[in-house]
Amino acid sequence: MLLHLNPSSGVPVYLQLEAQVKQAVAAGALRTGDALPSTRKLAAELRINPNTVARAYQDLERDGVTRSIPGGGTFVADGLPGLLKSEKVKRLRPHARQLAVEGRQLRLTREETLKLLEEELDRLGGQP
Amino acid sequence: MSERAILTEGLSKSFGTQAAVAELNLQIQPGAVYGFLGRNGAGKTTTMRMLLGLVRPTKGSTRVLGHDPTREDELMRILERVAFVPQRKQLYPWATPAELVRMNKGYFPRWSDDAAARLAQRLEIPMKTAFRKLSIGNQSKVALLLALAQEAEVLILDEPSAGLDPVMVDEILRTLIEDHVSQGHTIFLSSHHLGEVEQICDWVGILEQGHLLLESRLEEIRQEFRLVIATGEGLSVASSSNVVSATTDGRFRRYVVAREADRFAAELRSQGAAILEITPLGLRELFLHLVRKEDSCTSGNAGAKREAVSSFS
Repeated sequence: MLLHLNPSSGVPVYLQLEAQVKQAVAAGALRTGDALPSTRKLAAELRINPNTVARAYQDLERDGVTRSIPGGGTFVADGLPGLLKSEKVKRLRPHARQLAVEGRQLRLTREETLKLLEEELDRLGGQP
Repeated sequence: MSERAILTEGLSKSFGTQAAVAELNLQIQPGAVYGFLGRNGAGKTTTMRMLLGLVRPTKGSTRVLGHDPTREDELMRILERVAFVPQRKQLYPWATPAELVRMNKGYFPRWSDDAAARLAQRLEIPMKTAFRKLSIGNQSKVALLLALAQEAEVLILDEPSAGLDPVMVDEILRTLIEDHVSQGHTIFLSSHHLGEVEQICDWVGILEQGHLLLESRLEEIRQEFRLVIATGEGLSVASSSNVVSATTDGRFRRYVVAREADRFAAELRSQGAAILEITPLGLRELFLHLVRKEDSCTSGNAGAKREAVSSFS
C-alpha cells in the first residue's frame, strides 16, 4: 500500500494516515479482508513514531473501517457495521459545512458546488 | 512508582556569571522520543552532559533511570544502560572503526554484534580506515554505530544527524525506529532539523537561554496550538494564560495560543479586534515564533510565559 506523508502540512500525521486509508477503501483500492501493514513495519517505512501509526489504526477501528485480530494484524472491515445512519451523517456534516463555506467564499453557485461533489462521487465509481 | 527515564528538578549550571541552564525541570517517560530543541548556545549540550556526569550541576538534581549521575557509584549504573553520542566526536584517532568496535563492546553487557554489523553496512562505514582519516560525516557515523549497538535503554543523542547527507539521515531515522523506538527504548535527542523531529518524536521541549520555554506532546501542538493574527486598537497584551507568545508586527499582533484558540479569539473580538487568521503551526513556525527576537517593539515578549507550558495529561 502506498501511504505517504506531508510532515509540514500542519495536519496531524495520524489524521493523514486515516484519511488515506479511508480514501483507499472508498476508491476500492483496499477491499474487505485486505491486511494493513503492521504498526512497526509502517512506522519504519514512513520513518515515523510507531505510536502515531497505532493511534491511526485505533481510530480506523473505532470508525469501523478496519478490524484487528489480537496478535494477528489489522484488516479492512466489511462495510461500516454497527454505525447508525444518524451517526454517519453526524460525522460527515463538518466536511459538508466546510465545502459549503469554501464554495460560498469562492463565489461558486450552489449548482457548481453540488456538481463538484457529484463529480467526486462519480470518480469513486460503484454506487452502494 | 512509575520511574521516569530522565528526571531533572531545578537543574541549573552557571559558568562564572553566565547561566547556561536555569531551573530546568524535565520529566521524560520511558519509551518517549523526546526532541530537545533550541538555538545554538541555548544549553542543550550542557544539559545532556549533566545527565551523564560530565558536567557538575551548580544547583538542582538529576535522575537517569533512577540514578544520580553526580554520584560516582550510581554513574556507573547509568553508563551501562545509557548510550551517548556527543556532538564532538573524540575517539582514538589511530584506531579503525573495526578496532573501535572491539574495544567498546566489552564495556556493554547488552552489546549486539548483529546491530553493529547491520549499521556498518547501512551507514556505509569504511571499517578498516583509521578514524582520523575518515571524513567528518563518517566519524559521526562511527560514533552512532558505537552508541546504537549498545542496545541501551536510553539514547542521548546530541545532534545525531549534523553533517550527514539526506540518505544517511533517512537510514538513521529508520534504524532508530526499527531497532530502538519499537523496542521501547527512550530517546532524548537534540536537533536543528525540525522536519526529522516532527517525524519521529512524540514529545518536544524548547530551550532558550537555559530556560525551558515549552514542553508538550507533539500531537498536542498539532491539534491545539494555533497562531492567531489580530488587528485593532489597544489590544490586551495577553490576558489568557494560554498565550505562549505575543509579538507585534506593524498594525498586526500575532499570538501563539496553546489551547482554546477560538475562545481567545472571541475574547479579542469582544475588545474590538478583528481576527485575520487562526491557523495551525508546524513545529518550525512554532519554534521561530517562540525564540525569535526580531521585533524589539514587543516590550519583552510581554505575553510569553517564562515557565514551560507543561501538558502532562
